[in-house]
Amino acid sequence: MIEVIKPGLETSIQDYPGRIGYWAQGFPPSGPMDSWSFRLANLLVGNPGEAAGLECQFVGPTLKFHAARVLAICGADMKPTLDGKSVPMWESIAIAAGQTLALSFAALGARAYIAVAGGIDTPPWLGSRSTFHKAGVGGMEGHALKAGQAVPVGKGEGKPGRKVKPESRPTLATDRVWTVEVVPGPNDDWIDDAGHERFLFSDWKLSSKSDRTGFRLEGPQWTFTDKATNKAPEHGSEPSNIIDQGYPVGAINLCGQTPIILVNDGPSMGGFINPYTVPSAAFWKLGQAKPAEILRFKSVSVEEAQALRGKIDDICSESSVI
Amino acid sequence: MIYSEPKFLPGGDRFVLIEFGNEMNLELNFMAQGLATAIVEQKTKGIIETAPCFASLLVHYDPDQISFKELQKEMMALIRALGPSDDIVLDSRLFYLPTMYRDPWTRACVEDYCNKITKKELDPEFIARINGLADADQLVRVHSGTEYWVASLGFWPGLPFMMALDPRCVITAPKYNPPRTWTPQGTVGMGGASTAIYPVATPGGYQIFGRTPVPIWDTEKRFPVFHDSIVLFRAGDRVKFVPIGKEEFDFIDAKVKEGTYVYNVVEYQKFSVRNYKAWVNILDRSKRF
Repeated sequence: MIEVIKPGLETSIQDYPGRIGYWAQGFPPSGPMDSWSFRLANLLVGNPGEAAGLECQFVGPTLKFHAARVLAICGADMKPTLDGKSVPMWESIAIAAGQTLALSFAALGARAYIAVAGGIDTPPWLGSRSTFHKAGVGGMEGHALKAGQAVPVGKGEGKPGRKVKPESRPTLATDRVWTVEVVPGPNDDWIDDAGHERFLFSDWKLSSKSDRTGFRLEGPQWTFTDKATNKAPEHGSEPSNIIDQGYPVGAINLCGQTPIILVNDGPSMGGFINPYTVPSAAFWKLGQAKPAEILRFKSVSVEEAQALRGKIDDICSESSVI
Repeated sequence: MIYSEPKFLPGGDRFVLIEFGNEMNLELNFMAQGLATAIVEQKTKGIIETAPCFASLLVHYDPDQISFKELQKEMMALIRALGPSDDIVLDSRLFYLPTMYRDPWTRACVEDYCNKITKKELDPEFIARINGLADADQLVRVHSGTEYWVASLGFWPGLPFMMALDPRCVITAPKYNPPRTWTPQGTVGMGGASTAIYPVATPGGYQIFGRTPVPIWDTEKRFPVFHDSIVLFRAGDRVKFVPIGKEEFDFIDAKVKEGTYVYNVVEYQKFSVRNYKAWVNILDRSKRF
């Protein structure tokens, strides 16, 4: 059992790939935003990459371990300490009963992942332990961890001292600028050439009004094709309105003039256009970007996006561990 | 319009939106649901799940198992095999949903919006006026005079987007601008030509005019109807709103709270697009209820 001393800003239980198969009912996948770091943390402690672990956002938790455990921390650098002494990331470490792990502010990146040998063992809900805050389901009582909670851990024995090869780790941006791949579509033909150019060649600031539902972007204005401005009234009054349609996870959803990237806990459908979609292979960058940092978008084809995904899947394997 | 060939619009590396047309038309939703059913029956390789909406079907696939090109080919084959939409027959349950129209809770919600955000005409009177109905009483007769077709679920888990099946009961309403910050749980409302029920208290943009005491989602599965799914509806179901008064609302509300409410569901019917169209063709659409 792990006792939550301080919960951190928003520490939630997630598993990979999350709650899949309920999109038609309106349930999002949830799951870790940076599944690259998440899966590597699991592999270090001998878990399957999918096992439930903790996602720590911006400020990490303080956790007291009531039994000896092996754990690993990957992702954002939250300066982890064990009983006040610094401990390494990207490496499995042994913890004795009674020791306290503390994570602080994210010095680099935004989300750290803690995997514990045996995995977090809360009851699965619709096939997944992932927390979906908005509806209060999954995880610990449906929400982020709270002080005083006892987090159950499954049976498992990990080995300390296993490390992720440096070249297998995601490279977190140190200059606060992220280049994020996007695939044009589904509704790219609603935006005119000038609008596409502005989107692809401007800096977009990640708004502080962002969460696991959506990442709001601040940047230049959008301009539209005839399809958006000259359409049947049933589409809605704004140029970016369309007859309600299904939203891909990762869709860049244009609400009026504000683009919102629909991420892990986002809505499944609605009445706005999605000119671009962030492919799964670029989600780790979204997960590690902090509010006020800059996103730049790079257009790739469906096939290129699928190849990138394959590359990351290959990295998230035992071959990356030494 | 209904496209002569559906459009395959990519949504990143693992989604494709198959668009059948670009209007609010039941026919397009029948095609989307027909394809969704065919995918399940054919067990198409590499397809993880689908989500129908008014005029399109979103397909979630595994690119490790099927490429975007192969997927298009497989989907076109299924769409051709479906034939004309007239041949589509879908499983369709019918839910009788007791609903108090012009209830005190949605009225209080609209008044709160008027006081705190911006003044507007009360929703039932407003919808009646812009649809050329005599008054809010006729709105209740017209809105409750038809079965509704569950076209899709989304926005919030379990929230049904529904369209009136009887063309004599089709009415439309613009959405709130700006949206409401809250809406009571169980509120019935409409935006565009779509009617929705709010599963929980959430912000919202539909015009609102009624409330049902019957839960449409249940994370605790207290009622047998939620045994297989915590969400009451699925696409292709039909809903009939049954107007009730305050006393009946309170009675049902109490039954719900003690866990003894019995859901009224008809489960033996299928929905035939051909039969439906034949019926629609003989109606006198100039008359309202």
